[in-house]
Amino acid sequence: MAERNKRNVEAPQGVGRLRVEHEKVVKGCEDQIQHWKNVKGDYEVLEDRLKTLPDKVSYDIMVPFGPLAFMPGKLVHTNEITVLLGDNWFAKCSAKQAQMLVEHRKKHVQSALDDLHKTKKNFEARVGFTEDLEKLSDGKGGYVDIREELEGVVCKGKRRVSLKPHSKPKTEAIVKMEEEEEEEMLNAEGSKRGVLSEEELWARLDELEAQEQQEEELDRRFDSADTNGNDDTTSSSSEEEKDEEGDRPAERSKGGTTMPLNGSQVDRTALPPRDGGKEEQEDDEEDDGLPTIHFSHTVEPKKVRINTGKNTTLKFSEMKEQKQQAKRKKNNGTSNGHSHHGLHITSPTDIYRLFVDVKNGEPVPRKSILKSRSRENSVCSDTSESSAADFEERRTLGRSPSHDDNTYSDTGSAITEEDAPTGELPVPTSRFQAFSGTVVEKEPIPLSVPQLTIAPPALPTIPERKLEEVVPEAPQEAPQEAPKRVSKFKAARLQHKGP
Amino acid sequence: MAEAIQKKLQLGLEKYQQMQKDVSKSMSARQKLEAQVTENNIVKEELDLLDTQNTVYKLIGPVLVKQDLEEAKATVAKRLEYINGEIQRYEMLLKDMEKKSEQHREVLSSLQQEYQRAQGRAVGKV
Repeated sequence: MAERNKRNVEAPQGVGRLRVEHEKVVKGCEDQIQHWKNVKGDYEVLEDRLKTLPDKVSYDIMVPFGPLAFMPGKLVHTNEITVLLGDNWFAKCSAKQAQMLVEHRKKHVQSALDDLHKTKKNFEARVGFTEDLEKLSDGKGGYVDIREELEGVVCKGKRRVSLKPHSKPKTEAIVKMEEEEEEEMLNAEGSKRGVLSEEELWARLDELEAQEQQEEELDRRFDSADTNGNDDTTSSSSEEEKDEEGDRPAERSKGGTTMPLNGSQVDRTALPPRDGGKEEQEDDEEDDGLPTIHFSHTVEPKKVRINTGKNTTLKFSEMKEQKQQAKRKKNNGTSNGHSHHGLHITSPTDIYRLFVDVKNGEPVPRKSILKSRSRENSVCSDTSESSAADFEERRTLGRSPSHDDNTYSDTGSAITEEDAPTGELPVPTSRFQAFSGTVVEKEPIPLSVPQLTIAPPALPTIPERKLEEVVPEAPQEAPQEAPKRVSKFKAARLQHKGP
Repeated sequence: MAEAIQKKLQLGLEKYQQMQKDVSKSMSARQKLEAQVTENNIVKEELDLLDTQNTVYKLIGPVLVKQDLEEAKATVAKRLEYINGEIQRYEMLLKDMEKKSEQHREVLSSLQQEYQRAQGRAVGKV
């Protein structure tokens, strides 16, 4: 520990010294550049002089006599110039030839200047980097390490895990049959031995599977943008699976039908539902002196049984409720016409989010509230598991961010003048989680283009729609949503719902 | 015991410093040669720009001696080759010297460790 502290102290010093050295190099480069610029200037003056020199056959000049005296004299042979070529070589040439030589030298100077400029830029960049490194090692300067601990597996992996155990029973059934045959054919001892060897094979298979899964998780870890937070979780989950698989060979001797059950158990243990909302623990000082934010995903939606007349269950998202409540406290003007047990619906997206069917223990959002079976996009429902690319999903994915934008606005029941900015489409999704789905680009159309053109054909029910301007509030507080906008669609539906 | 090691350490240090000086000398010589190479390249190019009508002179001491353009070009080319050869030689030299200095550095570090151990033992004894 003392060593690490010592290292920590030395590191910033080393970094500081590195920065100093870099700056020295930059300064050196600047000096050189200045020098070469002077040389270039000299050559240019010389060129001008060479151009004018042959104009006259002879010039009357004051010839310098030593360091202190001048004498009137004449400059003759105005076209004959003895040029120093370098390395004690001279050449007599005409003024024009001398000019050519000067041009040639200027080229060299220019190339040297360019090189110096490049080096200077490189080193300036390096200085910047070392400065950042310094700030980083100091632990201040606004650098925050954001770590997300993956306790289980993201959707892709989940699917893989669930598939694997299912692939087993077939082969296992066959092996079971073989075992039975062996038992029939051989005597008791022989059959036992046969069973054992089979079990050994299965044990070997299980080991290989465990290895494969570990590799998968490693890959996933490298693929994802997370840093070190996964180590514990992946190892723990792999351990869990190993335990499960350790149990399996024992169980297999009992009966092959237990396999699918085990597989599903593996599923559940490997992917513990990550309860709790997004957590942001600010400024955890870690060993390396960097404030860390621990970030974890998703919300386990609470199930609230609400009879909507179609024998469906409404899923109620806790986090959304909090956010909406926070927003409502601020706004205090939204239409609270329907309050389903505290559900506040202010826009169509709310409906999509809240009215979710429950199927097989998993929340399945609906395509439309009119239909009993539908899919909601992954963004709204906070369940990234359902980010399977469905076209409808994508469509609603594209639409709902825009509706999200529309939702959180400072509206009363009246229509406010709001313009929907285009570039903020992906922003609202970040409220809930890292955006993992696809973004449909066509959606900005109703928001960006002057809505007057779109209004008539799109929604015949809202002919009186005006342009609504959004007041994008960039610095948002944590519980608040992204810029609040109300589109004409939303307002229209509000109007239709309200009165 | 510690004193003997200390003396050895001193000697080693001096030797190492000497080697470092040699290395830096060779480096600076090589840099000079590099500058000469550049210069001679420019001269060669400029000579190519001229034609036989111009007289070429060479400065030998205080005297400008007339030279033939072709001769001058040949001379410059030869000089260039010579300089390049010198650079190669110096590079080899430099490499060897660096290797030697590395070895010496290791010897020094081991000596230093011994010395520290001896120091520790001496302190312990006292």
